[in-house]
Amino acid sequence: MNAFNFLRNAFAGRKLATAGFVWLCLIVVAAIVAPLIAPFDPLEIDPVGRLAEPGWPNLFGTDHFGRDTFSRAIYGARMTVIIGVGSVIVALFCGGLIGMLSAYFTRLGHFLMRGIDVLMAFPALLMALVLITLLERSVFNTVLVIGIVYATTTARILFGMTLKLKGEVFVDAAVCSGAGHSSILFRHILPNLLSPLLVQASFIFAFAQLQAAALDFLGLGLPPEVPSWGNMLSEERIYITRAPWLLLYPGMLIVVSVFSMNLVGDALRDSIDPRFKDDIAGV
Amino acid sequence: MYLNNSILSPSLFRMAGAKCLLSFIEVDMLAYTVKRLFTLIPTLLSASILVFLFVHLIPGDPAAILLGDTATPEEVAQLSAEMGFDRPLATQYFLWLGNVLQGDLGISIFFREPVLSVIASGAETSILLASMTMVWIILFGLPIGVLSATKHGTWVDQVTSSGAMLAASVPTFWLGLYLIMIFSVTLGWFPSSGFPSLSDDGGIANLRYLLLPSLTLAAPNAALIVRLVRASMLDVAREDHVRTARAKGLHPVRVTIKHVFRNALIAVAAAFGFTFAALISEAVVTETVFSLPGIGRLVVQSILRRDYPVIQGVILVIVVLYMVVNLLVDLAYARLDPRVSLK
Repeated sequence: MNAFNFLRNAFAGRKLATAGFVWLCLIVVAAIVAPLIAPFDPLEIDPVGRLAEPGWPNLFGTDHFGRDTFSRAIYGARMTVIIGVGSVIVALFCGGLIGMLSAYFTRLGHFLMRGIDVLMAFPALLMALVLITLLERSVFNTVLVIGIVYATTTARILFGMTLKLKGEVFVDAAVCSGAGHSSILFRHILPNLLSPLLVQASFIFAFAQLQAAALDFLGLGLPPEVPSWGNMLSEERIYITRAPWLLLYPGMLIVVSVFSMNLVGDALRDSIDPRFKDDIAGV
Repeated sequence: MYLNNSILSPSLFRMAGAKCLLSFIEVDMLAYTVKRLFTLIPTLLSASILVFLFVHLIPGDPAAILLGDTATPEEVAQLSAEMGFDRPLATQYFLWLGNVLQGDLGISIFFREPVLSVIASGAETSILLASMTMVWIILFGLPIGVLSATKHGTWVDQVTSSGAMLAASVPTFWLGLYLIMIFSVTLGWFPSSGFPSLSDDGGIANLRYLLLPSLTLAAPNAALIVRLVRASMLDVAREDHVRTARAKGLHPVRVTIKHVFRNALIAVAAAFGFTFAALISEAVVTETVFSLPGIGRLVVQSILRRDYPVIQGVILVIVVLYMVVNLLVDLAYARLDPRVSLK
């Protein structure tokens, strides 16, 4: 399916979802050109001008180190994109591969899916906490942990979808024409899974933001010096009564971004192949 | 007439038939329960292996890790001998499993108390918090979901569904902090942190400490229930028996309640079970925000204190709880919905 037409169909007549999509594009742009549009260095400390109210030149005010909250928020968009995209890649690659291979090679699948069942007995946040305990606090590890947590659900979902596709006539046709296993899996089955994978990716992106923010808040996520929206909330929470705006802006940014991603995911889900509608997770 | 004889009245016939059917279902149900119990055992054992390996994945001598930094070499050597840390991993696992099955989860490094009693001290808060949260989820989630489904396609539906999605997009700790600021700091209506036991002074009134936390925790979960109720009611509404009910002229409210809602509730009831089990661990963040002495905060504090025996114990307890609840949900599901195949 043509990607552009797919998007156009998905968003036709959905104003809120389109707004969400535009917002996410803005986040990505902000993340890329952060050094150009941020008025201050996000790490520059100014002890004199701490806890300044929103105004000029500090649009969102300053935090308890006197750092410019607006600039930190813009650099925070970078972390949002890195966490989101990174977790999606880890989850879809690991989960997707396990799910597809398990459905295709039945005997292997019996073994692998039991393993996934066991991992799914660990609630998501608890599993993230356990893995974090074994690793150091770093951007890479946070991405890895969140990705692994969602790889389990992704494997489950893709297992079901691949099983459905495996029974289709075009797969039989490919087998008859002498196609090998890898050709059937990646050239015949995988292309049919792309749009449901895109939907799944959008929900993982949204959930990953909330998980990352929760980990940051617990002091177990990104290293404290990294400017992320979750870290900003975590660091400034004791100033909530003195400087409530310090928590308002990063919090609103998280809410709007997660909401946008959920809206986009919903719009995409409604437009995908009806065969898979019941399989996709999401809010 | 003979057929009008009370012994052979149609309602009695139906009752006898239903009773026969019931006993068939019960035999099937028993077999199904036993089967599910047997499939639970390998999963539980595999999960226990993962939990056991957790301490071994941390770099360093496991005995030293379990005893903490303050342990003397003699204590480390003694625990090593007790747990057989010099023996093969499989032997160690069975020694550990044997202890666990007797209720011995080790000794907390920080509290210097058995892990089981440390966990038990957080259980009251966690269970009360989860229960209160479930009350809000049912009180808000069900009616709003029904409203959203019955007004399907109207602005009411749009507002409630988008509102639910928005509520599911809010980080719980952020919501909690603002609730504390508004209702505790500014208005002074509710306490902002802590939870004295119900057996302390104040008794049942101490539940007010859990009001804000439970509302915080309920917001995203109630939102999920709203969307689930809406989706499953719309699914059921498309089925033939609902069309028949409408066609025979039944009142729309009666159709909605008796034919649509009751059937949709089967899927929702299953979700309630999962939600309750998930709440115990999801409460990690909420308990931290409101400084509640529950199991969730115990996990975070134990991670920060490197109190590995407690982390291991809590994971084990939560995972077992989660699996048992899953099993109960499946059994209840099979019981509620006769269409679920028991084979």
